[in-house]
Amino acid sequence: MDRIDRRTFLKTTSLAGGAIVAAPVLFDGWLTFAGTEKAGYFEKEFGITDSLCKKVLAKALSKGGDFADLYFEHTISNSLGLEDKKVDRAYTSVNLGVGIRTVKGDQVGFGFTQELSEKSMMAAAAMAATIANGSATPVVGKFAAVKMSDYYPLTGTKPAPLAPRLSLVESTAGKCFARSNYVIKTIARFNDARKRIMVVTSDGVKAEDLLPDSALSSMVTVEKDGRKEQFWFARGGRCDFSYYTDDIAREVAEGVVDGAVTLLDAVVPPAGEIPAVFAPGSPGVLLHEAVGHGFEADFNRKKISIYSTMMGQKVAEPMVTVVDDGTWPNARGSINFDDEGTPSQKTVLVENGILKSYLHDRISAKHYGLSSTGNGRRESYENYPVPRMRNTYILPGASRPQEIIESVKKGIYIQDVSNGQVNIGQGDFAFYVSRGRLIENGKLGAPIKDFNIMGSGPKLLRDITMVADDLKLSRNGLSVCGKDGQLVPIDCGMPTVLVRSLTVGGTKKQGA
Amino acid sequence: MDKQMYDLCKWVLDTAGKAGAKDLRVSLGKSRLVEIQYRDKRPEIIKQATTLQMGIDLFVAGRYSSQNTCDLRKDALKEFISDAVSTTKLIAEDPYRTLPDPKYYKDRADMDLKIADASIDELSAEQKHTMVKAAENAAWSAGGEKVVMVEAWFSDELGESVTLTSNGFSGDTRSTNFSVGASVSVRDDDNRRPEAYDYADCRMHKKLASPETIGASAARKALAKLGAKKIATATLPIIIENRNVRRITKGFFDALDGRNIYRKQSFLADKKGQKIGSDKFIIVDDPLILEGAGSRLYDGDGFAVKKRAIVEAGVLKDFYIDWYYSRKLGLEPTSGSTGNMIVPAGTRSVDEIIKDLGKGILVTEFLGGNSNPTTGDFSVGIFGQFFDGGKIVHPVSEMNIADNHLKFWHKLAECANDPWLYGNWRTPSMVFSDIVVSGV
Repeated sequence: MDRIDRRTFLKTTSLAGGAIVAAPVLFDGWLTFAGTEKAGYFEKEFGITDSLCKKVLAKALSKGGDFADLYFEHTISNSLGLEDKKVDRAYTSVNLGVGIRTVKGDQVGFGFTQELSEKSMMAAAAMAATIANGSATPVVGKFAAVKMSDYYPLTGTKPAPLAPRLSLVESTAGKCFARSNYVIKTIARFNDARKRIMVVTSDGVKAEDLLPDSALSSMVTVEKDGRKEQFWFARGGRCDFSYYTDDIAREVAEGVVDGAVTLLDAVVPPAGEIPAVFAPGSPGVLLHEAVGHGFEADFNRKKISIYSTMMGQKVAEPMVTVVDDGTWPNARGSINFDDEGTPSQKTVLVENGILKSYLHDRISAKHYGLSSTGNGRRESYENYPVPRMRNTYILPGASRPQEIIESVKKGIYIQDVSNGQVNIGQGDFAFYVSRGRLIENGKLGAPIKDFNIMGSGPKLLRDITMVADDLKLSRNGLSVCGKDGQLVPIDCGMPTVLVRSLTVGGTKKQGA
Repeated sequence: MDKQMYDLCKWVLDTAGKAGAKDLRVSLGKSRLVEIQYRDKRPEIIKQATTLQMGIDLFVAGRYSSQNTCDLRKDALKEFISDAVSTTKLIAEDPYRTLPDPKYYKDRADMDLKIADASIDELSAEQKHTMVKAAENAAWSAGGEKVVMVEAWFSDELGESVTLTSNGFSGDTRSTNFSVGASVSVRDDDNRRPEAYDYADCRMHKKLASPETIGASAARKALAKLGAKKIATATLPIIIENRNVRRITKGFFDALDGRNIYRKQSFLADKKGQKIGSDKFIIVDDPLILEGAGSRLYDGDGFAVKKRAIVEAGVLKDFYIDWYYSRKLGLEPTSGSTGNMIVPAGTRSVDEIIKDLGKGILVTEFLGGNSNPTTGDFSVGIFGQFFDGGKIVHPVSEMNIADNHLKFWHKLAECANDPWLYGNWRTPSMVFSDIVVSGV
């Protein structure tokens, strides 16, 4: 076998990086970062000093440009999986690197490296610099730490070991089987990632953070009289292990089993146009997809979005106010600052029915002569940031949920949706409803499942005619949003709302 | 083979062995990517990077874990492996988790799949910019005054990988991919901005469609969406355009997966050997096609791959069973992943079929939707062109098709003569009769 020593290896391979080793620490079987402090990590562990950052930024701006930024990331993700009543699989993933971006107007040069050595970073910076072709832009003399609040404080300094995490997953599965005799299969999973980031910009911002991201999820298959159904349910967010109490395990088990059992009696609703009531919480994904993406400023500055000519105009009824909020405590889309170093905020997009703001990153903010709303986000150091949502929801209204259901003579009640997609410019969306109920004469009727709903996003927003007072976020801890090939964690929600009309794609015509 | 990558994998095998993991698989992947995107006649994005990723599957004392890292400094790796071995020992035993029987590694095809284009290093930055500009200009020209935005791009990628196992598997791959594409938004009379794209992906640069063709095609597709409207819910024949067939077959393929079969989440679990579609329903998985996007000599378990019939004249012939689930299910393993999926082309063009059918919908895009692998129910939004009297009448949007896979494939009436060649799903346009298309 290979016996080369470290010195020989460093000389003969480009696969190895600098000499400082900052391996994560194993806490009783759980691999994670040693501390929970937010600042100083990359300097302490990798020797990334302010002077080195200045040098790399100067290289990125050596041919000009408006600004450049560095995005350092070190992420440790762990996952435990159960398929046959015991946790019999564990997954760990470590990601480390720095993305270097040069911005000139709306043009972006971007390179990244997984080696945090000066040589590699300078090479990536030289690549990013090629977007410009003028004389060098100066880098500021000093970096100032960004002022931020902490929307997901970590409790204690020592992470929980492996053993209680194994118990959590196994007890969740046990509770699922105990909940119903119809359960024939349970899969449970616990994910827990910690991401350390540092953003340094040529105009003087330095921002460091440690972001937790975890979820307990379960999927069950139930069988009754030869009919099988499956359902999925999860809880999580930017939480540490202290969130995962026995009550949370019970909530997940009850949520997944009760959902699946309901489906055993579900029918597919008739196709056609019909009024729809959205349950509070997870149907918020519809707001995210059908409406939220159209508010992302890059789609508007590029004139793709239907909303690009509608700022200040009425886009919804007065009872509708839509916000994108990066500050909801422990929600999965919350961030202390965005991936360009702009502090997080709660951004009002639609206020009492009037379009008030897009979601901006630095490029679009400059284009529109505004400040960034803190929505410049990226999946990892391998990507450059673009405007992305955080936690998007409709503010509570004045109606009561029951009142909304009672107002519908014949319609559908939508409880869980998945796999939504929207065509930004045309405004069309389609969503798969995995669970709902028929509404007949103002009362919830038979369960329904496995059908698509579709419509136009802007029309959907206009067609919201009642908003209840029971706002919830989905809090499933696993929601991601895909755009430009990048996935970022988000959350979304809404109170109970009434939508005047939606198209249901079923297999039978109404009245058939 | 990249000797440095190979040596590092060997070092990991050795290091893990010393840390207590005698059985393991180690894979190291390296990818070099260049992306250039233009908008408004100038570069919008220039991106270039090299990525390394190591995966280690550990089988320790009857227990299993899977590790990934890009931190390949040897000191960090050594500690990472040692930690991983310790963690693995703490989880529950799983008697089904082992490295595969080495007999499945044997008989690997001795051939060059021609999936790496040596010319990738000869392509200059200037040539790449020229291609993107050509795609962008063609889109503006073909789109005319209705166009509000064009994005055009080119990318190339060189990927290399090495995989070793402690029980004798050794494999390496080198592959290239070239992509050219354009996305076009046009303004409709009611301020809607329909968008469409076209692209081509190829292993060999010379086989790539011309950027001019792609740009013009994207513009034509966007213009074709102007004035889209719903039609009344009806039962009609539909033609699913070649490049979109993959989307509708995904729900079918999820149910062929050994994992879903084991988890009792497959509507096809008991259907092997049974008729599940019309005689026209034929799918072959051939991983050994020259220059194929899904071509490979071995799969994720290290199994030597071969051509397989998946569906033959409507009869389900085979599943996708990897080593682990073959042991749990007590079945012979096949392969856990797909190669090149081939649906044999028919003889008639889509235009001829439209003339013949008279009335129906040509589905050019899917939107949202999902498929339930346990029951086979699916529902998906569609865009397309409504045709009547054998001619395209107008575009349709905000419409939907819903069915169950166990019924849907019996409605497959014909395959057109236009196989899509820019991906690992080589499918022609497919014609289905009597589909409920819901709209107004």
